[in-house]
Amino acid sequence: MGERVEGLLRDLAPQALGAVVRRYGHFDLAEDAVQEALIAAATRWPATGVPDRPRAWLITVASRRLTDLLRSERARRRREETAARQQPPADRPAPAADQPGAADDTLTLLFLCCHPALSPAAQIALTLRAVGGLTAAEIARAFLVPEETMTRRISRAKQRIRESGIPFRMPSPAERQARLDAVLHVLYLIFNEGYASTSGPALQRPDLAAEAIRLTRIAHRLLPRDSEVTGLLALMLLTDARRPARTGPGGALIPMAAQDRSRWDADLIAEGVALVTRALPRGRTGPYQIQAAIAALHDEAPSAEATDWPQILALYGVLRRISDSPVVALNQAVAVAMVQGPRAGLDRLAALAADRRIAEDPKRYAVRAHLLEMTGDVAAAREAYLAAAERTTSLPRKRYLYGRAARLPVGG
Amino acid sequence: MKYMILLYGSQRDYDRLAGAPVDEEDWSAEQVAAMYEFMAAWNQELVESGEFVDARGLAAPAQTRRVHGLKDGVPVVTEGPFAETEEVLAGYTVVECASVDRAVEIAAKVTKSPNPGFDQGMYVDVRPVLEGAGDLGGDPEV
Repeated sequence: MGERVEGLLRDLAPQALGAVVRRYGHFDLAEDAVQEALIAAATRWPATGVPDRPRAWLITVASRRLTDLLRSERARRRREETAARQQPPADRPAPAADQPGAADDTLTLLFLCCHPALSPAAQIALTLRAVGGLTAAEIARAFLVPEETMTRRISRAKQRIRESGIPFRMPSPAERQARLDAVLHVLYLIFNEGYASTSGPALQRPDLAAEAIRLTRIAHRLLPRDSEVTGLLALMLLTDARRPARTGPGGALIPMAAQDRSRWDADLIAEGVALVTRALPRGRTGPYQIQAAIAALHDEAPSAEATDWPQILALYGVLRRISDSPVVALNQAVAVAMVQGPRAGLDRLAALAADRRIAEDPKRYAVRAHLLEMTGDVAAAREAYLAAAERTTSLPRKRYLYGRAARLPVGG
Repeated sequence: MKYMILLYGSQRDYDRLAGAPVDEEDWSAEQVAAMYEFMAAWNQELVESGEFVDARGLAAPAQTRRVHGLKDGVPVVTEGPFAETEEVLAGYTVVECASVDRAVEIAAKVTKSPNPGFDQGMYVDVRPVLEGAGDLGGDPEV
């Protein structure tokens, strides 16, 4: 019962918050009010049972609480007239809007949390707080910052929304695409943070990768026809599917070619492949879909040798035309090496030495080392592995790279 | 009161931990895993007792940039300014607890880490954290 209530509340939280903000404004106070309604529900429902219309219940309780908060706020410092006009009538019957609008409210909330007036760090924190329903303490632990820091970051973000008078409504058609891209980028960053931190010494951190997938599933449910939302969800599932095989004992990194593919999550792969297959022929072809298609080709290969590298190389070609990312260029160099041979890949890498964004990146040295090893130039490969290890800050990655170097004889 | 527990290490310690080619024996994957596990459990215990505030590990000393004063209007930057065996700050954990005795008790636990260094004279420091203007003597009422 307790778990069922918890799951239900997490789904309803952004809908209730969205509904309250849409009606009364005051995003910052509404957020507090909805939190209190959620706490009331979490303590009461397991004993009394879930009400017939749980969403309406939450909205009613939160609206009443918001009224109180607005009153005390007014008492404390005389509020401008606008606030008075926006004040909810105390006994307004709770929301008829139990059906339509609910989904839109969650989506509008997502757009609001990822508003360009906020810094990326604030967008992420606010999204996890307001849409994800995580507490400030949980978000703080996920990002390894003190709780006070996260609490301040969230309240500053809410203040910023209040001060800049950002309205609670869907972006106009003209700006919708850019705003949706911002939302997807925030979800992508949350996923990456979770995925990258799954190795090494760590506290028990809330699983941000799982949270990002949950939020992206919501976005996908709300925008089922947007091929980039679908693509991002597919990319996350297809990447997360490999997580069980990614690290060995003690958090040692295992490169994809050496992973035990039987440990990959077949259900996630099947779901991801189905999503990307549906998304690809439809709508604009964006970077998430293409990355998902690449991930699908890796996930579907029965072995590293059997990977469809020509197809992957073709997809990197498409991706490069729409993305200037040097990391994409680096991955493309790997694909070139797998199709045309390591020398061709090394030529691509040499060209990247002129790109300041990645020239001194340990990843470039690591790829160089792998490709040199493929050519049989073990002395040069060893040097490149050492150079990559010295530039890496992550201890598991250092161990992996020094380990590769140690396998190769000095002086070839 | 908050206390910072400071942990130290040299470039050589980092190299052994990372399995870099050095004269001394490297740590095995199992040893590294055991230490990670120990440190994670130590931190987790503090999270659960409510005493945990913040913890960070620092990258290897060789990756330090030391910024000196301006020379001819340009800051002078030295890379990796430490000797290989020089002990420098490697990480810290900030706790909030009732007394310095409790902070010392917490710190004493970390010296039981499966890290050979503690048998060879390695230590941690416990330092009280100043909270604000009052502690710094800027508040006239204090």
